[in-house]
Amino acid sequence: MMLLRVSQVLLGLSALSSSALALWPQPRELSTGTTPLKLSNDFSVSTKGLPSTPNDLQDAIRRTQGFLKTDKLQALVPDRGASSKSAVGSARALRSLRLAYTGTARRLTSLAEEAIADVESRVEGYTLTVPSDGGEAVLQANSTLGLFRGLTTFGQIWYELEGTAYTLVAPIQIKDEPLYKYRGFMLDTARNYFPVDDIKRTLDAMSWVKINTLHWHVVDSQSFPLVVPGFQTLSEKGAYNAKAVYTPQNVKEITDYAAARGIDVIAEIDTPGHTAILAHSFPEHIACFEASPWTKYANEPPAGQLRLASPATVNFTSSLLTAAAKLFPSKFFSTGGDEINANCYKEDAETQKDLAGRTVDEALDGFTQAVHGALKGVGKTAVVWEEMLLDHKVKLANDTVVLVWISSANVQAVAQAGYRLVHASNDFFYLDCGAGAWVGNFPDGNSWCDPFKTWQKSYSFNPIANLTKEQEKFVLGGQHLLWTEQAGPTNLDEKIWPRAASGAELFWTGPGGDVRAALPRLHDLQYRFVKRGVKATPLQPEWCALRPGKCDLDA
Amino acid sequence: MKLLPLFISSLSVSLRSANALWPVPRNLEKGTSHLLLSPSFDIQVEGVAFSDVPGDLQGAIGRTKTRLWEDRLGRLVPGRGQSDLQASAAPGSLSLLTLSIKPPPGEGKGAKVPSITSEVLKDVSARDESYSLHVPADGAPARISANSSLGLLRGLGTFEQLWYWAEKGGEAGTGVVYMHEAPVVVKDDRPAYPYRGFMLDTARNFFPVPDIKRTLDAMSMVKMSQFHWHVVDSQSFPLEVPEFPELAQKGAYSEKEKYSTQDVQDIVKYAAERGIDVLMEIDIPGHTAILAESHPEHIACLHASPWSQYANEPPAGQLRLASAATADFTVALISAIASRLPGTLFSTGGDEINQNCYREDAQTQKDLKESGKTLEQALDGFTGRVHEAVRGRGKRVVVWEEMALEHQVGLANDTVVMVWISSKNAAKVAKKGFHVVHAPSDYFYLDCGAGEWIGNSAGTNSWCDPFKSWQKAYTFDPLASLTKDQASLVLGGQQLLWAEQSSPENLDSIVWPRAAVSAEIFWTGPRLPSGASRSVGEALPRLHDIRFRMVQRGVKAIALQPLWCALRPGQCDS
Repeated sequence: MMLLRVSQVLLGLSALSSSALALWPQPRELSTGTTPLKLSNDFSVSTKGLPSTPNDLQDAIRRTQGFLKTDKLQALVPDRGASSKSAVGSARALRSLRLAYTGTARRLTSLAEEAIADVESRVEGYTLTVPSDGGEAVLQANSTLGLFRGLTTFGQIWYELEGTAYTLVAPIQIKDEPLYKYRGFMLDTARNYFPVDDIKRTLDAMSWVKINTLHWHVVDSQSFPLVVPGFQTLSEKGAYNAKAVYTPQNVKEITDYAAARGIDVIAEIDTPGHTAILAHSFPEHIACFEASPWTKYANEPPAGQLRLASPATVNFTSSLLTAAAKLFPSKFFSTGGDEINANCYKEDAETQKDLAGRTVDEALDGFTQAVHGALKGVGKTAVVWEEMLLDHKVKLANDTVVLVWISSANVQAVAQAGYRLVHASNDFFYLDCGAGAWVGNFPDGNSWCDPFKTWQKSYSFNPIANLTKEQEKFVLGGQHLLWTEQAGPTNLDEKIWPRAASGAELFWTGPGGDVRAALPRLHDLQYRFVKRGVKATPLQPEWCALRPGKCDLDA
Repeated sequence: MKLLPLFISSLSVSLRSANALWPVPRNLEKGTSHLLLSPSFDIQVEGVAFSDVPGDLQGAIGRTKTRLWEDRLGRLVPGRGQSDLQASAAPGSLSLLTLSIKPPPGEGKGAKVPSITSEVLKDVSARDESYSLHVPADGAPARISANSSLGLLRGLGTFEQLWYWAEKGGEAGTGVVYMHEAPVVVKDDRPAYPYRGFMLDTARNFFPVPDIKRTLDAMSMVKMSQFHWHVVDSQSFPLEVPEFPELAQKGAYSEKEKYSTQDVQDIVKYAAERGIDVLMEIDIPGHTAILAESHPEHIACLHASPWSQYANEPPAGQLRLASAATADFTVALISAIASRLPGTLFSTGGDEINQNCYREDAQTQKDLKESGKTLEQALDGFTGRVHEAVRGRGKRVVVWEEMALEHQVGLANDTVVMVWISSKNAAKVAKKGFHVVHAPSDYFYLDCGAGEWIGNSAGTNSWCDPFKSWQKAYTFDPLASLTKDQASLVLGGQQLLWAEQSSPENLDSIVWPRAAVSAEIFWTGPRLPSGASRSVGEALPRLHDIRFRMVQRGVKAIALQPLWCALRPGQCDS
């Protein structure tokens, strides 16, 4: 008899390792049981114990309750849960989830405020207890953001069988908080334009895996969709068309939507390179505009860079970026700084004149100091691509955040220099790689960063490889990125999801995860995303998704 | 001073957008005049009361009329064609397109125009898809003439691609439909190859009927003629077969993830009305593990582990080809399926047969011993019986290349062999005298390059890496290393989507516009109307155009470049 019980427990364990509980990102501490539990028809979320309930938290609760009803995700097992029918039928019913605040404030701050608070001060931890006897479940946190993260976890616990939401693994106890403070995703809306609704759907999906930062690469040499007050001519002449713009109202809509989902929006106006499009309205500020062959003047067409040595251009850039930065509530603003083409400036007579004996890097230093200084003046901390620090030796303020994209091997040099850094390396996190060359007339070309970066590849990333203990503390986190030369609204979801979730777990739960154990949970997430209207790509035949391990290499 | 903008705009028209037809007709002459589509535009069939026009041609005419107004595709130039409106002061206005079928149906009673469907269901080499098209610049009636309704359909497809939409001076929603290169003359356009296909695997992951129909619509836009439906495989059996209901009952992923007999008829009819024949494949004797859910007695090495020793992908399981009972079962199953399909091609698959599976299957070894046959002899006997049954239903057999090249199997002379392992193997198949359909993984597999899908393989690449870009596919030469005599054996080719990493979520984006590439290779042949060789540099602007038109029609084809590049042909070339 005892032996039988043990074997039942073992069976329970093997079920657990499959899709019995498929949270993503995996909580830092988790224990589960083997008792079935269903959601009562009158299930409710209680906020009575909270000192106050901010509106955006109330909205988040409503969305969670909506998902509990509309996800209708069946368990990923061959019979999709049918054999659990009697267990579910006779299970105790959970009637209530109580939210509890463990902090000392007399009123809760809104999610929106906490989402844009200084990245290192954000509190996202929570504990969640779901008893097996139908007694009240409790979600505790000492921040609104923590309560929100816990609600997200709660929403992933349930499967559906004949109209009933259930789990087979109660009781559940979770104590959770992210390992890294910055868990991001970058979207380029300049190579191809994405309507506001696509961005909102992406923000929803991001919040479901607890990503907390949208790095919005909003403009580039190809188009300028951002309507900047005082500089409207930029979008009038630089957007792909009158409808392909983000008005200040759109930006507010997006940043509000993001913040209400625990996401900070860091806008980037990439300078001094990647700015050809400005020449449509301000030709005087752009060197080597559409110079040919573009390969000599830029990493991709069209060529054109800000005349960084011109005092007038420095002033213009400072005004433009501060005006743009004011549209975004984030404490961060990115000035880019990647892929500056030396040849462009070498052949630009105006720049050569303006340099007046300075080197380009010296002029870049002055340009950057002025622009970053102006941004500081409106309360923004600068974010830059790695070249600014490693290639150009620009003097950056100590609080500058550096994005490492060229190679993960460069992380050490950034940490060594004492700057906070975000992992964004193309060799692990670029979602666009591997779809062939997009440059025309290049029949045998593959993408420059071939091959395709699989979810397994990014999952295996070690954020502190080759770093000393002292250097580790400079790692803020990391992000997947979608450059959109070959992406648009028609393939946005499937390019991002579920791959970007791999980075979300890596930087929440921490490195060292096993791809074998992760795959069933990632399947679960992919299926849940599809149920919620996000067109995530399937990772395997459904036969495999329903049978964890059976399609492993060594199975 | 006033002339200058006009001059610039007409010059840029001719430089930037020679034409945007896909596939480009075998010959094409065009002018530089603008022509408006009249609000009263109509399409008539010459000499026939519309009520006597076959229903599928009526449907095609109706769709064309709708699309002309609803495509709303702005021309791919900066400004999206706004300057076109200003460039032409008093363009002609087209109010009639006449369709003419030769020979004309007699005046007498019972004179009938044959349907599109009837032409589509002929043998692949016997279909007449040719047409001629003339659109005068002055607004006089345009004309498509053809020998068949199918030819008229192809002509309508070309006609639809001539038109763009420009918003009228900022008034949202109001605009004009116009073309900018009238007159257009296409004389006797016809495909270089009759088989221009696309293969979809609906077994690794399921695709609902509307997804398949949308795919057929997109295929029809680029004049494809064959839908190769790899309907079942080892992972699932979504096909309902009335004589064997247990197969889908136990083998479909779920009750909802099935194709009923009605669904199949619906798809076949929908396809035929759009000029597409459906070639269904039941892959045997490998790729059949799922049959064991209801008929375990017929399957060897079911779910044997490690799967890599028994199959190319999990789960393992193959038909017991040496068993007489299994051969009876297979013949009955395939006959039941084939007898409900009107097309003249049917595939029995035959790829990736695993020897080890049979070596370790006691039942198969016993069957072989009792009959005194080798495995190859048993395969020959098994295949012979099944093929005879298929041929008995009036169909030509289609097989994967292994059946012709690796196994000692007797195949009928008219067997069509699909070459998938390597484009190099086409010559070997042709040497044996079989008809060839090009389906090489090294050019045409749309699934390659998205990482290994097998679990626990940290970060490795797909077996057929890299990604097959449209450019790579476009450089495919159907006649490479074939002799002149062998060239006539090439029926055409197709791009293929194996669906291990696909589902309705990414169907359109993984297929389009890449699959349009083979549609042009096998329609247009090696030369452009100008006589120049086809090239990726020339093709890209046209491929952008068909991609944007697909998006307008609700097919989520992917962007090939930043819009900046799509509006400026050549500016983003390497």
